[in-house]
Amino acid sequence: MLVPCDFHDDLDTPLDASDQMGADLALLDAVEGGGPMQLRLYRWQRPALSLGRFQPEDQVDLDACRTLDVDVVRRPTGGQALLHGSDLTYAIALARPGGREGSVDAVYGSIARGLIAGLARVGVSAEVARHRGPAGPACFSSERGSDLRARGRKLVGSAQVRRGGAVLQHGSVLLDRLAFDESDLLVFETREARTHAHRRLRGATITLAELGSETRPEALGDALAAGFAEALDLDLDFRSRSFVAGAQGRQ
Amino acid sequence: MNIPEDLRYLPSHEWARVGDARVTVGITDYAQDALGDIVYVELPEVGRTVAAGEAFCEVESTKSVSDIYAPVAGEVVAVNTDLGDAPQKINDSPYGEGWLCVIQATDPGSVSELLDAAAYRKLLEEE
Repeated sequence: MLVPCDFHDDLDTPLDASDQMGADLALLDAVEGGGPMQLRLYRWQRPALSLGRFQPEDQVDLDACRTLDVDVVRRPTGGQALLHGSDLTYAIALARPGGREGSVDAVYGSIARGLIAGLARVGVSAEVARHRGPAGPACFSSERGSDLRARGRKLVGSAQVRRGGAVLQHGSVLLDRLAFDESDLLVFETREARTHAHRRLRGATITLAELGSETRPEALGDALAAGFAEALDLDLDFRSRSFVAGAQGRQ
Repeated sequence: MNIPEDLRYLPSHEWARVGDARVTVGITDYAQDALGDIVYVELPEVGRTVAAGEAFCEVESTKSVSDIYAPVAGEVVAVNTDLGDAPQKINDSPYGEGWLCVIQATDPGSVSELLDAAAYRKLLEEE
Protein backbone atom coordinates (compact mmCIF):
# COMPACT_ATOMS: atom_id res chain seq x y z
CA MET A 1 0.00 0.00 0.00
CA LEU A 2 1.33 3.41 -0.97
CA VAL A 3 2.12 5.99 1.69
CA PRO A 4 0.53 9.43 1.07
CA CYS A 5 3.15 12.18 0.87
CA ASP A 6 2.74 15.89 0.15
CA PHE A 7 5.36 17.04 -2.33
CA HIS A 8 6.57 20.66 -2.23
CA ASP A 9 8.62 21.81 -5.21
CA ASP A 10 10.45 24.89 -3.94
CA LEU A 11 13.30 24.79 -6.46
CA ASP A 12 12.31 28.20 -7.79
CA THR A 13 10.75 29.65 -4.65
CA PRO A 14 12.65 32.73 -3.48
CA LEU A 15 13.23 32.20 0.25
CA ASP A 16 16.03 33.59 2.34
CA ALA A 17 18.08 31.28 4.54
CA SER A 18 16.00 31.63 7.70
CA ASP A 19 12.78 31.16 5.72
CA GLN A 20 14.21 27.94 4.31
CA MET A 21 14.64 26.61 7.83
CA GLY A 22 11.19 27.90 8.75
CA ALA A 23 9.71 26.05 5.78
CA ASP A 24 11.45 22.82 6.82
CA LEU A 25 10.11 23.18 10.35
CA ALA A 26 6.64 23.72 8.86
CA LEU A 27 6.95 20.21 7.41
CA LEU A 28 7.69 18.87 10.88
CA ASP A 29 4.74 20.82 12.30
CA ALA A 30 2.47 19.35 9.62
CA VAL A 31 3.43 15.79 10.51
CA GLU A 32 3.33 16.44 14.24
CA GLY A 33 -0.16 17.80 13.73
CA GLY A 34 -1.28 14.52 12.20
CA GLY A 35 -0.65 15.34 8.54
CA PRO A 36 0.84 12.99 5.95
CA MET A 37 4.51 12.55 5.20
CA GLN A 38 6.12 15.63 3.63
CA LEU A 39 8.82 15.92 0.95
CA ARG A 40 10.31 19.25 -0.07
CA LEU A 41 13.04 20.02 -2.59
CA TYR A 42 14.66 23.43 -2.75
CA ARG A 43 17.68 25.50 -3.69
CA TRP A 44 19.23 28.47 -1.94
CA GLN A 45 18.88 31.87 -3.54
CA ARG A 46 22.22 33.06 -2.13
CA PRO A 47 25.15 31.23 -0.61
CA ALA A 48 24.41 30.41 3.02
CA LEU A 49 26.32 28.66 5.76
CA SER A 50 24.02 26.58 7.94
CA LEU A 51 25.20 25.66 11.42
CA GLY A 52 24.15 22.62 13.41
CA ARG A 53 21.65 23.16 16.23
CA PHE A 54 24.35 23.26 18.91
CA GLN A 55 27.42 24.21 16.88
CA PRO A 56 29.27 27.07 18.60
CA GLU A 57 28.88 30.29 16.61
CA ASP A 58 32.46 31.26 17.39
CA GLN A 59 33.55 28.61 14.90
CA VAL A 60 32.28 30.91 12.14
CA ASP A 61 34.43 33.62 10.59
CA LEU A 62 31.70 36.25 10.38
CA ASP A 63 33.98 38.78 8.65
CA ALA A 64 34.70 36.26 5.92
CA CYS A 65 30.98 35.52 5.58
CA ARG A 66 30.25 39.24 5.19
CA THR A 67 33.07 39.71 2.68
CA LEU A 68 31.90 36.78 0.58
CA ASP A 69 28.24 37.79 1.00
CA VAL A 70 27.27 34.52 2.69
CA ASP A 71 24.24 34.34 4.97
CA VAL A 72 24.62 32.43 8.23
CA VAL A 73 21.67 30.45 9.54
CA ARG A 74 21.06 28.00 12.37
CA ARG A 75 19.55 24.63 11.45
CA PRO A 76 17.11 22.88 13.78
CA THR A 77 19.01 19.67 13.09
CA GLY A 78 22.30 18.37 14.40
CA GLY A 79 25.67 18.13 12.71
CA GLN A 80 28.18 20.69 11.57
CA ALA A 81 28.50 23.68 9.23
CA LEU A 82 27.36 23.22 5.66
CA LEU A 83 27.73 25.68 2.79
CA HIS A 84 24.70 25.93 0.53
CA GLY A 85 24.46 27.57 -2.85
CA SER A 86 25.58 24.95 -5.33
CA ASP A 87 23.53 22.12 -3.85
CA LEU A 88 20.00 20.79 -4.06
CA THR A 89 18.46 20.36 -0.64
CA TYR A 90 15.80 17.84 0.30
CA ALA A 91 13.69 17.82 3.44
CA ILE A 92 11.49 14.95 4.56
CA ALA A 93 9.19 14.88 7.56
CA LEU A 94 7.54 11.66 8.66
CA ALA A 95 5.88 10.12 11.66
CA ARG A 96 8.55 8.30 13.66
CA PRO A 97 8.15 4.60 12.89
CA GLY A 98 7.65 2.32 15.89
CA GLY A 99 10.24 -0.07 17.20
CA ARG A 100 13.69 -0.41 15.68
CA GLU A 101 12.50 1.15 12.43
CA GLY A 102 12.23 4.41 14.32
CA SER A 103 15.85 4.58 15.44
CA VAL A 104 18.05 7.39 14.15
CA ASP A 105 20.09 5.00 12.01
CA ALA A 106 17.03 3.19 10.66
CA VAL A 107 15.40 6.44 9.52
CA TYR A 108 18.68 7.57 7.94
CA GLY A 109 18.83 4.20 6.20
CA SER A 110 15.27 4.37 4.94
CA ILE A 111 15.70 7.86 3.48
CA ALA A 112 19.07 6.85 2.03
CA ARG A 113 17.29 4.20 -0.03
CA GLY A 114 15.22 6.96 -1.62
CA LEU A 115 18.25 9.11 -2.31
CA ILE A 116 20.18 6.18 -3.77
CA ALA A 117 17.25 5.29 -6.04
CA GLY A 118 16.97 8.92 -7.15
CA LEU A 119 20.66 9.29 -7.84
CA ALA A 120 20.64 6.02 -9.79
CA ARG A 121 18.14 7.66 -12.15
CA VAL A 122 20.83 10.19 -13.09
CA GLY A 123 23.47 7.51 -13.46
CA VAL A 124 25.14 7.89 -10.07
CA SER A 125 25.96 4.86 -7.98
CA ALA A 126 25.88 6.03 -4.35
CA GLU A 127 26.22 4.07 -1.15
CA VAL A 128 25.73 4.67 2.54
CA ALA A 129 28.91 5.81 4.30
CA ARG A 130 28.82 4.65 7.89
CA HIS A 131 32.39 5.50 8.77
CA ARG A 132 32.82 7.51 11.91
CA GLY A 133 35.31 10.12 10.95
CA PRO A 134 36.30 12.93 13.30
CA ALA A 135 33.54 15.48 13.76
CA GLY A 136 35.27 18.53 12.35
CA PRO A 137 33.44 21.88 12.15
CA ALA A 138 32.48 21.37 8.48
CA CYS A 139 29.79 18.81 7.72
CA PHE A 140 31.26 17.58 4.45
CA SER A 141 34.72 17.00 5.93
CA SER A 142 33.38 14.49 8.45
CA GLU A 143 31.48 11.30 7.89
CA ARG A 144 29.11 10.44 10.63
CA GLY A 145 25.71 8.87 10.66
CA SER A 146 24.52 7.68 7.30
CA ASP A 147 25.82 10.04 4.68
CA LEU A 148 26.08 9.01 1.04
CA ARG A 149 29.25 8.54 -0.90
CA ALA A 150 30.02 8.10 -4.58
CA ARG A 151 33.43 6.85 -5.73
CA GLY A 152 34.40 6.80 -2.07
CA ARG A 153 33.75 10.51 -1.51
CA LYS A 154 30.90 12.25 0.21
CA LEU A 155 28.11 13.43 -2.09
CA VAL A 156 25.15 13.86 0.29
CA GLY A 157 25.21 15.09 3.90
CA SER A 158 22.09 14.83 6.06
CA ALA A 159 20.88 15.66 9.57
CA GLN A 160 17.76 15.08 11.66
CA VAL A 161 15.61 16.60 14.35
CA ARG A 162 13.03 14.59 16.32
CA ARG A 163 10.13 16.21 18.06
CA GLY A 164 7.35 14.27 19.69
CA GLY A 165 6.43 11.46 17.31
CA ALA A 166 7.78 13.18 14.20
CA VAL A 167 11.15 13.28 12.46
CA LEU A 168 12.51 15.92 10.08
CA GLN A 169 15.55 15.02 8.03
CA HIS A 170 17.12 17.35 5.53
CA GLY A 171 20.29 17.14 3.54
CA SER A 172 22.30 18.49 0.64
CA VAL A 173 23.21 16.88 -2.64
CA LEU A 174 26.33 18.56 -4.05
CA LEU A 175 25.70 19.71 -7.61
CA ASP A 176 28.87 21.69 -8.14
CA ARG A 177 31.33 23.81 -6.18
CA LEU A 178 31.28 27.50 -5.42
CA ALA A 179 34.44 29.59 -5.70
CA PHE A 180 34.92 29.11 -1.94
CA ASP A 181 34.02 26.48 0.60
CA GLU A 182 33.45 25.98 4.33
CA SER A 183 37.17 26.26 5.03
CA ASP A 184 37.00 29.91 3.89
CA LEU A 185 34.14 30.65 6.28
CA LEU A 186 35.18 28.98 9.53
CA VAL A 187 37.74 30.04 12.10
CA PHE A 188 41.16 28.39 12.06
CA GLU A 189 44.11 29.13 14.30
CA THR A 190 46.61 29.27 11.48
CA ARG A 191 46.67 29.70 7.74
CA GLU A 192 48.15 26.20 7.48
CA ALA A 193 45.20 24.76 9.36
CA ARG A 194 42.81 26.49 6.96
CA THR A 195 44.74 25.20 3.95
CA HIS A 196 44.73 21.70 5.43
CA ALA A 197 40.96 21.89 6.01
CA HIS A 198 40.42 23.09 2.44
CA ARG A 199 42.44 20.21 1.00
CA ARG A 200 40.70 17.72 3.25
CA LEU A 201 37.28 19.00 2.28
CA ARG A 202 38.17 18.95 -1.38
CA GLY A 203 39.52 15.41 -1.19
CA ALA A 204 36.68 14.04 0.90
CA THR A 205 33.83 15.30 -1.27
CA ILE A 206 32.58 14.90 -4.80
CA THR A 207 29.93 16.73 -6.81
CA LEU A 208 27.48 15.61 -9.49
CA ALA A 209 29.37 17.84 -11.93
CA GLU A 210 32.60 15.99 -11.16
CA LEU A 211 30.76 12.71 -11.63
CA GLY A 212 29.63 13.91 -15.06
CA SER A 213 26.03 13.57 -13.96
CA GLU A 214 22.91 15.69 -14.07
CA THR A 215 23.35 19.12 -12.49
CA ARG A 216 20.16 20.82 -13.66
CA PRO A 217 18.11 21.25 -10.47
CA GLU A 218 14.76 20.52 -12.11
CA ALA A 219 15.98 17.29 -13.68
CA LEU A 220 17.69 16.14 -10.49
CA GLY A 221 14.61 17.12 -8.49
CA ASP A 222 12.43 14.96 -10.75
CA ALA A 223 14.86 12.06 -10.31
CA LEU A 224 14.97 12.39 -6.53
CA ALA A 225 11.19 12.66 -6.22
CA ALA A 226 10.80 9.55 -8.36
CA GLY A 227 13.51 7.78 -6.36
CA PHE A 228 11.82 8.52 -3.05
CA ALA A 229 8.46 7.42 -4.44
CA GLU A 230 9.96 4.19 -5.74
CA ALA A 231 12.06 3.24 -2.72
CA LEU A 232 9.64 4.34 0.00
CA ASP A 233 6.39 3.38 -1.79
CA LEU A 234 5.13 6.96 -1.75
CA ASP A 235 2.03 8.34 -3.37
CA LEU A 236 3.31 11.86 -4.02
CA ASP A 237 0.72 14.63 -4.04
CA PHE A 238 2.16 17.10 -6.51
CA ARG A 239 -0.66 19.57 -5.85
CA SER A 240 0.81 20.48 -2.47
CA ARG A 241 1.47 24.18 -2.00
CA SER A 242 4.89 25.62 -1.63
CA PHE A 243 5.66 26.36 1.99
CA VAL A 244 6.71 29.91 1.14
CA ALA A 245 3.58 31.45 2.66
CA GLY A 246 3.82 29.32 5.77
CA ALA A 247 7.48 30.11 6.24
CA GLN A 248 6.99 33.83 5.89
CA GLY A 249 4.07 33.63 8.27
CA ARG A 250 6.40 32.30 10.95
CA GLN A 251 8.55 35.41 10.97
CA MET B 1 16.48 -4.24 26.93
CA ASN B 2 17.08 -3.10 30.49
CA ILE B 3 13.88 -1.80 32.16
CA PRO B 4 14.43 -1.41 35.92
CA GLU B 5 11.39 -2.37 37.98
CA ASP B 6 11.77 0.49 40.46
CA LEU B 7 11.43 3.31 37.90
CA ARG B 8 8.50 5.02 36.20
CA TYR B 9 8.38 5.79 32.49
CA LEU B 10 6.97 8.08 29.82
CA PRO B 11 5.82 6.71 26.43
CA SER B 12 8.42 9.07 24.94
CA HIS B 13 11.11 6.95 26.66
CA GLU B 14 12.16 9.03 29.65
CA TRP B 15 12.48 7.42 33.09
CA ALA B 16 11.76 8.90 36.52
CA ARG B 17 13.22 7.78 39.83
CA VAL B 18 11.22 9.04 42.79
CA GLY B 19 12.75 10.01 46.10
CA ASP B 20 10.23 11.97 48.17
CA ALA B 21 9.33 14.96 46.01
CA ARG B 22 12.63 14.89 44.11
CA VAL B 23 12.37 13.08 40.81
CA THR B 24 15.54 12.12 38.96
CA VAL B 25 15.10 12.00 35.19
CA GLY B 26 16.93 10.29 32.36
CA ILE B 27 16.30 8.50 29.08
CA THR B 28 15.78 4.76 28.88
CA ASP B 29 18.10 2.09 27.60
CA TYR B 30 15.77 1.71 24.62
CA ALA B 31 16.01 5.44 23.86
CA GLN B 32 19.79 5.62 24.04
CA ASP B 33 20.04 2.59 21.78
CA ALA B 34 17.66 4.12 19.24
CA LEU B 35 19.49 7.46 19.26
CA GLY B 36 22.98 6.05 18.86
CA ASP B 37 26.15 7.69 20.14
CA ILE B 38 25.20 10.82 22.04
CA VAL B 39 27.61 13.69 21.42
CA TYR B 40 25.94 16.66 23.14
CA VAL B 41 23.31 17.37 25.78
CA GLU B 42 21.56 20.70 26.24
CA LEU B 43 20.46 20.54 29.87
CA PRO B 44 17.80 22.81 31.39
CA GLU B 45 18.89 25.58 33.73
CA VAL B 46 18.64 24.95 37.44
CA GLY B 47 15.65 26.90 38.72
CA ARG B 48 13.61 26.47 35.55
CA THR B 49 9.97 25.60 36.10
CA VAL B 50 8.70 22.87 33.80
CA ALA B 51 5.27 21.46 33.02
CA ALA B 52 4.64 17.74 32.77
CA GLY B 53 5.23 16.67 29.18
CA GLU B 54 7.15 19.85 28.32
CA ALA B 55 10.21 19.54 26.09
CA PHE B 56 12.90 20.77 28.46
CA CYS B 57 16.14 19.20 27.31
CA GLU B 58 17.74 18.18 24.01
CA VAL B 59 20.29 15.56 23.06
CA GLU B 60 22.30 15.28 19.86
CA SER B 61 23.42 11.96 18.44
CA THR B 62 24.83 11.21 15.00
CA LYS B 63 23.60 14.54 13.63
CA SER B 64 20.12 14.04 15.07
CA VAL B 65 18.65 16.38 17.68
CA SER B 66 15.90 14.98 19.92
CA ASP B 67 13.65 16.61 22.48
CA ILE B 68 13.46 15.16 25.99
CA TYR B 69 10.20 15.60 27.91
CA ALA B 70 9.63 16.29 31.59
CA PRO B 71 7.82 13.41 33.32
CA VAL B 72 6.45 15.66 36.08
CA ALA B 73 5.78 19.34 36.69
CA GLY B 74 8.07 21.18 39.05
CA GLU B 75 11.35 23.02 39.35
CA VAL B 76 14.68 21.77 38.04
CA VAL B 77 16.89 21.65 41.14
CA ALA B 78 19.95 19.81 39.82
CA VAL B 79 21.48 18.87 36.47
CA ASN B 80 24.17 16.34 35.64
CA THR B 81 27.00 18.67 34.66
CA ASP B 82 29.34 15.69 34.11
CA LEU B 83 27.52 15.15 30.82
CA GLY B 84 29.10 18.33 29.45
CA ASP B 85 32.43 16.58 29.05
CA ALA B 86 31.10 13.04 28.83
CA PRO B 87 27.68 12.86 27.11
CA GLN B 88 28.43 9.23 26.23
CA LYS B 89 27.62 8.37 29.83
CA ILE B 90 24.00 8.37 28.69
CA ASN B 91 24.85 5.49 26.35
CA ASP B 92 27.06 3.71 28.84
CA SER B 93 24.86 4.04 31.90
CA PRO B 94 21.39 5.41 31.06
CA TYR B 95 19.96 4.67 34.53
CA GLY B 96 23.10 5.56 36.47
CA GLU B 97 25.79 8.09 35.58
CA GLY B 98 23.80 9.14 32.53
CA TRP B 99 20.99 10.77 34.54
CA LEU B 100 19.97 14.18 33.21
CA CYS B 101 18.45 16.24 35.99
CA VAL B 102 16.40 16.31 39.18
CA ILE B 103 12.97 17.93 39.32
CA GLN B 104 11.38 19.03 42.59
CA ALA B 105 7.86 17.86 41.79
CA THR B 106 4.97 20.25 42.39
CA ASP B 107 2.70 17.26 42.95
CA PRO B 108 4.71 14.18 43.95
CA GLY B 109 1.60 12.05 43.58
CA SER B 110 1.58 12.73 39.82
CA VAL B 111 4.40 10.22 39.44
CA SER B 112 1.87 7.44 39.91
CA GLU B 113 0.30 8.50 36.58
CA LEU B 114 3.47 7.47 34.75
CA LEU B 115 3.95 3.98 33.28
CA ASP B 116 5.35 1.29 35.55
CA ALA B 117 8.00 -1.10 34.23
CA ALA B 118 5.45 -3.69 33.08
CA ALA B 119 3.41 -1.12 31.17
CA TYR B 120 6.52 0.37 29.58
CA ARG B 121 7.74 -3.09 28.56
CA LYS B 122 4.36 -3.77 26.98
CA LEU B 123 4.54 -0.47 25.11
CA LEU B 124 7.92 -1.41 23.68
CA GLU B 125 6.62 -4.81 22.62
CA GLU B 126 3.74 -3.16 20.80
CA GLU B 127 5.87 -0.55 19.01
